[in-house]
Order: sequence, then structure tokens, then C-alpha cells
Amino acid sequence: MLKVPEHQVAGHIAKDGKLGPLVDDQGIFYKPLQGDARGENEAKFYESFSSNKNVPDNIRGYFPAYHGVQLVEASDGSGQLPHLALEDVVSGYVKPSVMDVKIGSRTWYPDVSEEYFNKCIKKDRETTTVSLGFRVSGLKVFDHEESGFWRPDKRVVLAYKVDGARTALRKFVSSNPLADSVVPDCAFASEVYGGSNGILTQLLELKAWFETQTLYHFNSCSILMVYENDESVDDAPRRARVKLVDFAHVLDGNGVIDHNFFGGLCSFIKFIKDIVESSENCCENGH
Amino acid sequence: MHLKAPEHQVAGHIAKDGKPGPLVDDKGRFFKPLQGDSRGEIEVKFYESFSSNTEVPAHIRRYFPVYHGTQAVESSDGAAMIVLENLLSKYSKPSVMDVKMGSRTWYPEASEEYIQKCLRKDARSTTVSSGFRISGFEVYDHKELSFWKPDRKLLNGIKVDGVRLALRKFVSSNTLSDTSSKPDSAFASSVYGGSNGILTQLLELKTWFENQTFYHFNSCSILIIYENESIQDGDARAQVKLVDFAHVHDGNGVIDHNFLGGLCSFINFVRDILQSSDDQSTQD
Repeated sequence: MLKVPEHQVAGHIAKDGKLGPLVDDQGIFYKPLQGDARGENEAKFYESFSSNKNVPDNIRGYFPAYHGVQLVEASDGSGQLPHLALEDVVSGYVKPSVMDVKIGSRTWYPDVSEEYFNKCIKKDRETTTVSLGFRVSGLKVFDHEESGFWRPDKRVVLAYKVDGARTALRKFVSSNPLADSVVPDCAFASEVYGGSNGILTQLLELKAWFETQTLYHFNSCSILMVYENDESVDDAPRRARVKLVDFAHVLDGNGVIDHNFFGGLCSFIKFIKDIVESSENCCENGH
Repeated sequence: MHLKAPEHQVAGHIAKDGKPGPLVDDKGRFFKPLQGDSRGEIEVKFYESFSSNTEVPAHIRRYFPVYHGTQAVESSDGAAMIVLENLLSKYSKPSVMDVKMGSRTWYPEASEEYIQKCLRKDARSTTVSSGFRISGFEVYDHKELSFWKPDRKLLNGIKVDGVRLALRKFVSSNTLSDTSSKPDSAFASSVYGGSNGILTQLLELKTWFENQTFYHFNSCSILIIYENESIQDGDARAQVKLVDFAHVHDGNGVIDHNFLGGLCSFINFVRDILQSSDDQSTQD
């Protein structure tokens, strides 16, 4: 039985009879193949990536597992349509906080249409893409006081400037994201961002690969960050996880590194690192 | 003060049609005319800030020209000039390359007109595709015993393969103007490799760029220099220097991801040439 995913924070949503992704109860995420070249390009990427022997095993874990293209009943009632069958990266989480961050100081790339270029560069300049090398696309964060999710509107998120992005990254690891007038407590910063299995460690592993890989250019791709909030089990681990998603605009690297993604990733890492360090200082000062 | 035009300018402004260009003296100093509009002001502001910034580590300071303040120079009609270290004064036969770093040369604070001009130039060159472009270079030909410079127009149209070829020619000893012979990359390991070579220096710079949030080095170049007089004995005296700070802005707590991405890409190009030349020499 297929249903609309609960935890989508960015991208198309299968709501109100619109075409969008679906999930089953076996941990599979079905993404409808978009009509134009994008769906084809994404499938082509997954085919190439899943059989590429030059991708190290530890890096493969940062990408959703690929289960081919399958015919599935579309969410808008238009019948059986080809869908990309992927690992549902949030299945197995009870109450996940999720954040989608688009990496790179530009979302356009050489040889795109003038129309697409103008659309992209306008958005890149209006958001933090140009200034920070990344932008927050969407997020939902569990609030432990209200027992509900903070899910800012897409328009609010796209209007973030540098401070807004920083605050969102702090709220992402806070127990009180819904409290507007209070400073985010960054209660989970060291468990989620820090630690030997935390987000920062994973990002640094990805960074090392991006310093030399010339296989793919991940134009307009996002990094998804997920962690668990369910406290029904004592000392439940946060299980913070980084995944790369959205490969509709990936191109061959042709012997050149993905300097656009790499620069943005390094900038993102610096932001996370600063939050970890300031939260560690907070604890030392007894706040 | 005896001033003359510098011998080995490979990019940037030169004295032409009555407009002032840079000058050098015989005491190892380089005089750069203060560019009109705000650029000259920005460059001075950067040098003032940088030279007194105690948080810049000593091993990074070596990658920047020493600043000697500003001075009015008579031979240029009393025009104000920035006085810098002449990076080439200690070289007798330097090969020099100017590489503009970053996948974009524009920045948010610039005027719309400037942004559009840069976007066009960036797209036409290897800036967008590779994260850097070669602005110019001059290399000593050990067979012809003279300096060779590629045609400026030719350089503007090169693509990724052209960049690789230029980086190989830059460290070759064979006749450079002869396009039929392959560059021998004879000096690749002396110049690019080794514990004091270009690659080592670039990697040191990269580490600093992964954390520094003081400055955004928009449109800056990396200059690569080495000595031809001693290179046959394996002594390259290779040096990396950052130059051209007319568009530098405050980092405001954000790293210079634009420069860093381009620098990392450039490092890969240099490393590839070094490795393929190492492979070649083990096969010979």
C-alpha cells in the first residue's frame, strides 16, 4: 500500500491530487520520473553510480540505494507511471527532524538554456547560495516542549539571509525550535552535529572524496540531514545521518573536480563546526 | 629614485597610451598606480588591514607581497601609488604565470554592470567550468634562450585541454613556439613537486582557506614564479604569491568558498601533471 511520505521538507509533494513521490512500508521511496530530461538524467545517474567501481564503499553509504525504475500507480490518479525506486532515507525513524540544504554557490551550470540560467541565478542571488555557497531548502524540527514539529513555510526559508541560515541550523539541533522569542538552546548540537558518528564527521568524510573525485558534478543537489527524536526508549541514539539527494542535473565530471559543490560543502562544514564549538563553550561556562 | 617599467608583467595593467602603469625601482620595490573609482582604495584598505592583522599566521603571510604604504611618484605626475615588494627582484630569469582563482570573478557587492561583464567573461573562459582561468604567462625557452609568451587572444579562448597544455608548457624545456612538438614537462617535479614546490605551497594555502573568514579574495590571482638560471641543477626556487586585491571584501564570518573551490580544482590540475610526468620519467 503506497502513501504520501510524512517527512518531505523540499521538492514536489503528492498532495491534493498532484504528482509527487510515494513510499511503501518496506522502506522504498518512489519518485515519479519527471516528463522532461530531468527524470531520465536522474535515472541515468543512479544507473551509472550504482555500477561505478571507482566509488569507494564508505562514500556509497551517503547515497540512497537504487532499486531500478518501476511502474507504480501515480499519486495524481493518472495511472501507472515509471517511478525511480529508491531507499527511503527516513524510514526506520519514528520522529525524525529533517533538513534539506542545497549545496553550491551556483545551481546553474554550463550549457543550460538562457531561461533556466536566469531563473537559477535570480534565486541564487536572492538566497544565501551566492553568499554562503549553500541555501536551506526546507526543514522540520521536533519541538520537545510542544511535542510537535516546527516547519517553517517555504517562502520564509527562501528569504533567509546569512543570520537566518545560521539560526535555522541552530534550531535544527534545539529542543525548543517553536519558541520564537527565546534563543535556540542547541541542546542536541554535540550529539547530532558532533561526535565520532555525527553530522560533522560524515560531512568531513564526504569532503575528502570531493577533493579529488572527478566522476560527477552534482549540480543543484541537496544534502539531507536526519536524526531521531523518539525518546520512548531510554538513551535512544540520535542516529544522525547525511544523505545526498536529487540528481536530476548531475553531469559527468570530465576530469575536473566538482569545485562548486566542494566550496559550498566547506562553507557548510564551517557553519556546523562553529555551532558545535559554541555549544561546547556554552556547556563549559555552565549555561 | 630610478624607476622603469617592469620586465615580466604577464597580466593586468601595463603603461599604455599615456595611462600610468606599474613601475619598479632598483631597491626591490614595485609601484602600482592607484586605480580610479574605489578599486585603488579597496586595495590599499586590504593591504593596511592585512599587514596589521595579527591573526594571519606567519607561514601564510609569505604568500602575500610585502606592503610599503603609498607614495606620490613624480614621474607619474605625482600620482599616488601603492608601494609593494617587487616579487621578481630576486630572480634573474623568472618564468611567471598568473592564474585568476574562483568559479566567479563577480561578487554580491559589485554593481550590476560589473556583474554582467564578469558573468560573460567567466562563461567564455575556464572560470565557470574549472574554477580558475590562466590570465597570462611567460616562460623561458632553454633551447631558444629567450622568453616566450602565448598570444593573449589565444589564451582567452582556451578550454580545459588548453589549460592542461599551458600548465605543461610552463614547466617544459623544449621549443615552446613549435606547436608540433609535445611539451616535455622536464621541470615538472622541480617546480610543481618536492617539499618546497608549488603543490606543497598551494596545499598550505588551501588549509588556511578552509577556515579563514577575514577576507573574500574576489578576482584575485595566484602568481607562480620559478628561476630558470638554476633550474637545470634542480633548484627551481618556485614561489606562489597572491596578487591583485582591488575587489577584496570582508569575509563577515563566512569562508571564501569561491576561492577555495577554484584553488582545490587548480591543485588537482597541477597534481595530475606532476603525477603523469613522474609516471613518464619512471617509464623512460
